[in-house]
Amino acid sequence: MSPPPASDMNSTTASNDKLKSSAFRVGLGDVTPNNLGQLKRLNTVLFPVTYTVSFYKDVLEVGEFAKIIYFNDICVGGVCCRKEQTPGSTSSQDLYIATLGVLAPYRRLGLGSKLLDHILEHAQLPPTTGPKISKVYLHVQKHNKEALDFYEKRGFKAVEEFPNYYPQLEETGALKLEKVLLGDD
Amino acid sequence: MKELPQKEGNLFKQLLKCYENKQYKKGLKGAEQILKKFPEHGETLALKGLFYNHLDKKEEAYDFVKKGLRHDLKSHICWHVFGLLYRSDKNYEEALKCYSQALKIDKENLQIMRDYSLLQIHTRNYDAFAETRLQLLEMRPQNRQFWIGLAIAYHMMGKPDLGVKILSVYEETLKDIPSKPDYEHSEMVLYHNSLIEETGDIQGALDHLDSIEQHVCDMKAVRERRAHYLLALDRKEEAEASYRTLLSHNPDNFAYFSGLHKSMGLGDSTEDQAKLLDVFKNLQETYPRSNAAKRLPLRYATGEAFVKIADEYLRNMLRKGVPSLFVNIKTLYADKEKEQAIENLALGYLAALDKSKGFDNSGATVEPPTAVLWTLYFLAQHFDYQRKTGQALEYINRAIQHTPTLVELHMTKGRILKHGGDLVGAKDAVNEARELDLQDRFINSKCTKYMLRADNMAEAEKTVVLFARADLADPLNDLVEMQGMWFSLECGESHLRQGQIGKALKRFHQVEKHFNDFTEDQFDFHMYCLRKMTLRAYISLLKLEDQLRSHPYFVRAAQNAVQCYVSMFDKPDGADSAEMEGMTEAEKKKFRNKQRKAELKAQKEAEEKKALVAQEITKKGGKVDEDPEGLKYLKTEDPLGEALKFLKPLQELAADRIETHLMGFEVYIRKNKLLLALKALLKSHKLDADNATLHEQLVRFALAVQKQQESIKPAVKSVIDQHWSSLYGSFKQSDLAGFTAAFLNKQNKGAVNGKEEEGSVPRLISAAIAVSLIDPAKNKAKAEEILFLMAQDDSKYAKTRSLENCLLARKTLKSLRSDRVQEFTAKAAVWFPKATAFQS
Ligand SMILES: CC(C)(COP(=O)(O)OP(=O)(O)OC[C@H]1O[C@@H](n2cnc3c(N)ncnc32)[C@H](O)[C@@H]1OP(=O)(O)O)[C@@H](O)C(=O)NCCC(=O)NCCS
Repeated sequence: MSPPPASDMNSTTASNDKLKSSAFRVGLGDVTPNNLGQLKRLNTVLFPVTYTVSFYKDVLEVGEFAKIIYFNDICVGGVCCRKEQTPGSTSSQDLYIATLGVLAPYRRLGLGSKLLDHILEHAQLPPTTGPKISKVYLHVQKHNKEALDFYEKRGFKAVEEFPNYYPQLEETGALKLEKVLLGDD
Repeated sequence: MKELPQKEGNLFKQLLKCYENKQYKKGLKGAEQILKKFPEHGETLALKGLFYNHLDKKEEAYDFVKKGLRHDLKSHICWHVFGLLYRSDKNYEEALKCYSQALKIDKENLQIMRDYSLLQIHTRNYDAFAETRLQLLEMRPQNRQFWIGLAIAYHMMGKPDLGVKILSVYEETLKDIPSKPDYEHSEMVLYHNSLIEETGDIQGALDHLDSIEQHVCDMKAVRERRAHYLLALDRKEEAEASYRTLLSHNPDNFAYFSGLHKSMGLGDSTEDQAKLLDVFKNLQETYPRSNAAKRLPLRYATGEAFVKIADEYLRNMLRKGVPSLFVNIKTLYADKEKEQAIENLALGYLAALDKSKGFDNSGATVEPPTAVLWTLYFLAQHFDYQRKTGQALEYINRAIQHTPTLVELHMTKGRILKHGGDLVGAKDAVNEARELDLQDRFINSKCTKYMLRADNMAEAEKTVVLFARADLADPLNDLVEMQGMWFSLECGESHLRQGQIGKALKRFHQVEKHFNDFTEDQFDFHMYCLRKMTLRAYISLLKLEDQLRSHPYFVRAAQNAVQCYVSMFDKPDGADSAEMEGMTEAEKKKFRNKQRKAELKAQKEAEEKKALVAQEITKKGGKVDEDPEGLKYLKTEDPLGEALKFLKPLQELAADRIETHLMGFEVYIRKNKLLLALKALLKSHKLDADNATLHEQLVRFALAVQKQQESIKPAVKSVIDQHWSSLYGSFKQSDLAGFTAAFLNKQNKGAVNGKEEEGSVPRLISAAIAVSLIDPAKNKAKAEEILFLMAQDDSKYAKTRSLENCLLARKTLKSLRSDRVQEFTAKAAVWFPKATAFQS
């Protein structure tokens, strides 16, 4: 197990009504070539889609927009995003959340929120390169109530439906959720 | 000394300077200059040789040094130079002779005497060492080094009292003892103190300790010694106080706890146990961060008290998630009752966690999700320890499903599969662990090891070099240079399994060479430690060096090498690989031919590739391995002699291991050295009369004696007769069948120490071999029957029916050319469902 470097480990003592008695440590860590295997492992068990080598190559390049989350020093969740040119605009970018997930036994402890908050926070910072990020979006399987609730609570709105988004899966339908960060000016 | 004229005389003095300053090329030129005018000047010739030696020209070196000596036999310089030359070639015996010659000529030469003493201690010639050190001291009594050198000499001779005397005399001559603790003085008085202890005068040592305390830098050593002495003197109360003080400095030192325990004089009674546990309770309160204070009560508590303490301890550790928990707990399993109690606790936790997320169903607490994980992990290791592979796998798979990213889980899965006999599955599991954390060298090495266990050399090499420095010309060879012995051993064992004896031997000889280097490396310390006054460390270095070859790595290399050489002797045509077990000679020949053809083809391809690799290595400035196949070792004329070279150090240093003597027998019986073989048997017998392999060897020995009845010398025969009954009891040579039957029955009789004796599979194997040797024509069925006993009585043999023993049993069946091999394999497959070796 490789715990993240200390600086990354904004160690918090989280608690939750169900887990009052015992404290635990949570921290975010960078994705590096050395721990990329963990992220791959996570995505394989969390998502029905298989991601390509080039997907993971890009993950190593997006900086703060790809993260791993540790629970008591164990890697239990992660997020991978990519930046895209906003269609029809050269002055803004969109942030696409390709994967965001937490291993089942570690859900409802605030870890998913911590990952998403991190992404949203960094999306709102002035970018180091390229134009500003104007919106964050993702696709969710239509029946994934857990995820839909999770995003809707954080101000994401369903904007489009794709009945055949996942042709290889049993449930093929997906919703596109998005959250606008900047007003049009 | 043959005088040179002044000009050349000065030049000669410069040569000596050159040598001291390591300017060998310049020295060589100077020597040649003198020799132009005085071609017969012995000392110059000798020095020229010495310079050559340092310029890597061995032959010339010896030529010139010898020539120099011939021209000037009376020169101490020539003899000294000759000694240095021998020493650099590690020929210590000859070097010692040269020095002693030199000293005969120049009795008071400090430099030579000092070099002489270094060699004496290096070769552990203690008496002579002491004599030289005494002379040195007499010559320079004002020099501290010489006093201490002599004290060390007496110490190593086993006369610490003389050492104490020397140091006392010396210390009296000291006028101004530094008022502030001074490191060198401090080391000396502490060494003095440890010498007094060695004389057995503990009170004296304690008094001395009080008197030196103010001069010592290492206060921890003083405190530890004081506590230790007080305890030895049975001054319990003071000892207790001392150990309590020590604990306040380091509450995680197990030795301090043990000292405290002893000084409280608490025994095993229930009452004392309760008292002891109270003591620990208080210590836990005083030192809440001390793990030792929490862990040690588990060692002392029994019964219900144990369960209570274990419960609290386990919950705590599982909640925290301490990966090493099982490793730390399993030492308690020596006690079966504790083992069962711990299993019950852990299973209870799992059931409760599954149901209510707590360690019990009281609902008092909700544990973090990792509690289940660590409990599953613990249980997997627990059942693996008991070699219940199926159960272990069940728990580890559940754990992996729970948290697939945890590296330890995959490592443990690998270990479980390895124990279950699925070496490929094991390797794959560990490789998964590796891929989860590419920066962990430990995992990378483990993974390499598992690849080698699965005989996948190519994959292993690719993996192990991932951690080599990027700029190396030949990273694989760098592992050898870095004395990475585990890798050499694992490679060698893999080659051996595959019947590649040359390559295997090459690896085992690498390990041997590392150990030679370790011994050599100590040379520099003889001088250094005396100069720097690191006396206590020096003494422990000397003791360590003396035991060096009892190190498990050396023992392993030696055992394997002996096995290689013995098999070379038995089968000069080449070793059998695992696939060839049980073939007839004709089949083997055909198989070998086929193999050879394939080998030739592969060799050609390999050669081409090797040429490319070699080119690459040379380009990067590396050294190309001229003999990757280890042909050099295969060519030896005397494999048994080579085997003996590995055996010798074991006989000296690992004489308490029965394997040493069992191996010795294998070599001596093949050399037909009956008395040495007998001696090996006697040694083994003394160590463990019931050892299974020993029985087989006894039968072989008796048969060998029988066969040679006529030709054995009477003197030899009488020695054998003399020891016969101590090895064979009342059985005569003509009744080996009875001897083996008795050996076999012994295990059936039961009732040793009042409890039913377990059956032993190794004994079955040994008896089967013995029976088949006694009458090869008739006894095949009988041998088979004996081996199949292990399948008859499950409760009796389950304990020793390990994977290794089953493989051995099958090998024995195969070598008997039995028809029941398949039948056996089918049974073994039921016992070891994961073992690939038993799958058809
Ligand atoms: C969606 C997911 C990331 C949420 O992770 P999480 O660590 O459990 O999230 P949090 O603990 O931060 O939950 C935050 C809030 O989301 C909502 N939420 C999360 N799971 C929910 C569920 N099963 N039902 C209803 N609301 C839910 C709750 O409001 C929750 O807050 P609360 O626990 O205080 O009530 C996680 O369920 C997951 O990994 N699912 C599988 C992967 C996936 O589908 N990802 C979405 C596609 S990118």
